[in-house]
Amino acid sequence: MQASLGSEFDPAQPLPPSSTASGPSESAGRRIARGLGRLIPFVPALIPAVIIVGIIGALLSAGLQANLGRTFFSFVWNPAQNDWGIGVFLVGSFLTAIPALTLSMLIGLGLAIASTAFLPRFVSRWLDPFVDLLAGIPSVVYGIWAYVTLRPFFSDTFNPWVHLHFGFVPGVGGRLPSTGGQGLPLAIIILTLMALPITTLLIRDSLRSVPQDLWESGLALGATRWEVVRHIALPYSNRGVLSAALLGFGRAFGETVAVAMLIGGASTLPTSVFSTSNTIPATMFSLLDSARNNSHFLSALADMGLVLLAITLVVNILGRRLVSSLYAYEMAGL
Amino acid sequence: MATATLPSAALDPDDVLTQSSGRLLWRTGFDRWIGWLLPLLFVVAIYPILDLVYYISSRAIPTLSWAILTSTNPTATDALGVPIITTFEIMAAATLLAVALGIFGGVATAEFLSTRAAEWVRASANMLAGAPSVVVGYFGYIVFVTSFGWGLSYIAGVVTLAFFMTPYVFRTADLAFSSIPRPIREAALGSGSRPVQYILRVGAPIAFPQILTGVFLAMAIGVGETAPLVLTTTYGVLVPQTLYSPVSFLTGLIWANFSQPQNSGLQILAFQAAFLLMVLVVGLNIVVRIISAQYRKRLEGLYQ
Repeated sequence: MQASLGSEFDPAQPLPPSSTASGPSESAGRRIARGLGRLIPFVPALIPAVIIVGIIGALLSAGLQANLGRTFFSFVWNPAQNDWGIGVFLVGSFLTAIPALTLSMLIGLGLAIASTAFLPRFVSRWLDPFVDLLAGIPSVVYGIWAYVTLRPFFSDTFNPWVHLHFGFVPGVGGRLPSTGGQGLPLAIIILTLMALPITTLLIRDSLRSVPQDLWESGLALGATRWEVVRHIALPYSNRGVLSAALLGFGRAFGETVAVAMLIGGASTLPTSVFSTSNTIPATMFSLLDSARNNSHFLSALADMGLVLLAITLVVNILGRRLVSSLYAYEMAGL
Repeated sequence: MATATLPSAALDPDDVLTQSSGRLLWRTGFDRWIGWLLPLLFVVAIYPILDLVYYISSRAIPTLSWAILTSTNPTATDALGVPIITTFEIMAAATLLAVALGIFGGVATAEFLSTRAAEWVRASANMLAGAPSVVVGYFGYIVFVTSFGWGLSYIAGVVTLAFFMTPYVFRTADLAFSSIPRPIREAALGSGSRPVQYILRVGAPIAFPQILTGVFLAMAIGVGETAPLVLTTTYGVLVPQTLYSPVSFLTGLIWANFSQPQNSGLQILAFQAAFLLMVLVVGLNIVVRIISAQYRKRLEGLYQ
């Protein structure tokens, strides 16, 4: 009895091969099948990667179809003369995205500090969703609203007023271009609004993640609320603030339709701060129609797409690396 | 004693009052003022959204009627029936495709992939979500419209839009399954269920609400997107009859008519389309918020 038990369950002996574990008894065909089976989950999981690679590949193949030569890296855009300078639109993109980001970072910091440090919780609980709601409105709706309401205000009131009172600043003075209100200022304002929910939400989230102990010990040491924010909470959440800046820039830089409606669609370098201009995405969007039968034109636009994709991807990856969780950001559809 | 004199000298009440009363006044005063000024910034953020909602509603609602919403007359300038029907068709098709493309990948990433592989896969999904819509539209134009020879067509638009929506579905499916409490997973697998049984019988009921939020979110993003559809379709006046028909949709209608003269029929039509779009997107966002609030309650219950 004991001997038979011992021979059955001898701990020194390795376990007999079970039917599910792969062992020498398994045929080569089954082993290959098992290996392939382990790869099956990768097929659906790789779909986003395949799409990204497909996008880059498609843009590359279209972009390399025609040889644009050195004109691509110039500041002259004239399809009739075979001048395909991306410089004009790169300048336009940065001239709109950077001021818009600066404004929305300043307002976003203010809003986030207000709702985390100064407003009672039941007030901020009602106000914050309004700002988050800005993220959900389609950009074409922003575009038509700004085109009909803000554009006349800029052309009749804002631009002439700034021109009159700040004309001594280089770039503001000189002849006031008659743009009908379209142009850089209008695009900057609308991009500020569109980047605002991102910057506010991310800064608010990172300020909320500052441990309660730190707030309370700051206050207990006699610091005012503002001093706690300035010297404890903001330094603690500096990565979150930086990621807000990067992801907000990504949104402002890649925004297409609203900018195409509001910036005026010029293909020359702006001569004053009121000039019409064009950004890379807005150019790609509004000029594809005229590029359909011109391989050079299509190549130039595809190359612009590559530059745009490279810049937004780098900014997005850096912005995401800085913070561990972007749950709220992703649930706002960003 | 010598060690005790240092802090007591620094905190001498007379010292604080005589030397820094001006400073103290400034500090507390600044704190009070900034506490009033910063919340005023909410006016800057909330005024535009209220104005936008009010202005678009005031232009759209007085002229909106059931006849306009349902009329499919291709020659009328006050008919929204075709764009509404087509938008819903496009959304249904693109959502189905995006769910098919995204949901399995998300579940597989959460359940089967090693941590390292999952990291890379998630990074690629985030990249795709961060890619500007115009770039995705170009991809659709180059691949589906020209290379595949589909031309500017309904199907090219639907597939491009689906690709644009895929990462959002993918991400929430992944997130939903990754955030199922570990003990639940271990209990299911430990009591002998196979991974597929765990996913279908245990994981799916828990993760379903969150996946649903992801799908609604992707729909809200997709329905408001203009570039992927405009770049891959031609604008038509009829409900699409074949896969290669021209299409008309709400965002395209706004893009085509936003610069019409003030108060012209077509501009009013664009505002009506914008109003419908806004209602649709805000409605979807509210649904998302409600579901995710409910979901959070349920999850908290699970953790107890």
